[in-house]
Amino acid sequence: MGDRLIRGRGLSPGEATSEVIICNQLISPLGEISRDGFVTSGPCENTSITGKILAFIGGRGSTVGSYTFLELKTKNIGPVGLINESAEQMVVTGAIISDIPMVDRIPLDIFSRGDKISINGSTGEVYIADVEKKRVATVYLVHKGKLLLLKRAESATSYPGQLSGISGYVEKGEKPEETGRREMEEECGITDSSLKKVGSEIYVRNKSILYEITPMLMESKSAEVRLNEENSSYSWVEPEKLHSYSTVPKFKETFEKLVSSTLKKE
Amino acid sequence: MQLTREEERIFDGERGEAPKIAIRLLYSLGELGEAEKLIPVKSAHISGVSYKNVGEGGIQFLKKISHPVSVPTSLNPLGFDINNGGPVEIDEIFRRKQMEIIEIYQKMGVMDSFTCTPYYYYNEPSFGDHISWAESSAIIYVNSIIGARTNRESGPSALAAAVIGKTPDHGLHRDEGRKASVVVNVEQQLDYTRFAALGLFLGPKLNRNIPVVRGQRGAKGVELKAFSAALSATSSIPMFHVDGVTKESSLVSESPEVIYVGKEEIEETIGKNSTQQEPELIAIGCPHLSSEELDYIAGLVKGKKKVGPDLFLFTSREVKAKASDAVKTIENFGGKVFSDTCMVVSPLSNSYRSTGTNSGKATFYLPLKGYGNQRVAFMGIMDLLRWVIA
Repeated sequence: MGDRLIRGRGLSPGEATSEVIICNQLISPLGEISRDGFVTSGPCENTSITGKILAFIGGRGSTVGSYTFLELKTKNIGPVGLINESAEQMVVTGAIISDIPMVDRIPLDIFSRGDKISINGSTGEVYIADVEKKRVATVYLVHKGKLLLLKRAESATSYPGQLSGISGYVEKGEKPEETGRREMEEECGITDSSLKKVGSEIYVRNKSILYEITPMLMESKSAEVRLNEENSSYSWVEPEKLHSYSTVPKFKETFEKLVSSTLKKE
Repeated sequence: MQLTREEERIFDGERGEAPKIAIRLLYSLGELGEAEKLIPVKSAHISGVSYKNVGEGGIQFLKKISHPVSVPTSLNPLGFDINNGGPVEIDEIFRRKQMEIIEIYQKMGVMDSFTCTPYYYYNEPSFGDHISWAESSAIIYVNSIIGARTNRESGPSALAAAVIGKTPDHGLHRDEGRKASVVVNVEQQLDYTRFAALGLFLGPKLNRNIPVVRGQRGAKGVELKAFSAALSATSSIPMFHVDGVTKESSLVSESPEVIYVGKEEIEETIGKNSTQQEPELIAIGCPHLSSEELDYIAGLVKGKKKVGPDLFLFTSREVKAKASDAVKTIENFGGKVFSDTCMVVSPLSNSYRSTGTNSGKATFYLPLKGYGNQRVAFMGIMDLLRWVIA
């Protein structure tokens, strides 16, 4: 079911394999990375990046920061790869002139501490060793302004008892939209609905599984729902009250993103 | 990105190794910014001068890219005052390596400006000019206050643009890239240090979003210089707008996010970054002082007796020459005025362990372990001078 690949954007060519150092912070390579290869501030303070793949949100601060990577590389104590969520010029320049492979558009929360990963700075590909990727489609179904929440069965293999949309694994050869419609019929008995929007993929890491979720917004013609064994109950809720429910990871923000970008387009 | 025939020849190395390295870097960065072409620039400004920041790897890179520049190009400060020495003792290796870097730049035809405020004299862009500048505090200043157009270039990429005379056409070179996406309402009227504190407070919050600041119609140029430096040290923001003050403040995107900053946030930022202990050194001039600022400080210390910590001021050679009366007054008082260098790029920790400053930018860099290694007292100029005036 799926492969182990996550695709970002390649910024500086080359390949690297090592342990990932996850720094959920902006970093000024001048000052916030020391000349002996340690992060000197923020959540990763006192962490060595020598020989590691350094993953951080993005660069900030001095435009001289590019030279920090070159200096570390020259002394053979640099990181072997770089990952940003969203890269800017100074760090990318540092990676290019130092021949350090770099990839961006990778959310940091797909990694767990201690992960061994491989990156390809030309193609933007990232692999996490011993992690299986599973592709999932999640339908956010609305009817007359209300959103359908399903309570996952206590026997469910992931997130039992939590509230979610209509979700299922994308089968081989299937498009996520097709998965969404199939699951809607299987889990809820709904066949008459219209697709409003397909969102960009989001990732949820759960131990050795990485869920790659395609969210989509659909509108149902009726409020009638016939559950199968995968869910124990359902309710139609007002989106404004969503924050008071215990939902699966990233459920609420993904819904907000789906709805806000839909409104803007109209 | 599309290259012209001549640019392709440079790319293929037909015009030599240095232009090839330069245009390949510009090409990669153009792809990153989704530029369609390179456009000519009127000037460049280069960061990456102090040996403390460039290092041995940087020297090797500078040698590889060394080639006459094709547009007027100014240079950032270095690790010491070349003609007068100081601000701190340096070892012979540092001096030799630093002069090696300077000589590489001089051979390329770069100006001996050695300042982070080249816009005061050496390199004054005009509204709408396309330029390729490094130095985070200068980039944000010339975009915001002058209305020139530069992306947030790194030292190496501004150098590459200086060699080629062109930069990728994206981001801040286009109106679309200059729009504010966040409105920042500030209730109280801010002074120099509080503008610096606002920069430190907003930087990590905004990350790279261009803000428009409202409620600061009385803001002066030097206060916005302090804001520029602090904001760009703690973020990758290339520009800001101030309602009623900066020239392009009508460039705001549809439905921007709105935030409010009150007195508490500003005072908390100052308190969080400051110790009340008397520092060994008072350092003012990050970014480099203007002649008006030197005049102002001279007025405050004129005829007074100096006590306590050392007092160092930093500016450029030309501004120091222009404000020679003020400099004399400050030196008679017992302060020192240095050019070519500053408290951030000189190896200050060779001689000092604690520094008082009104600079938000210095307040960000100086405490960092393995870099500035200073205990910092961040406060207004009147409070700083209280340590040194009898």
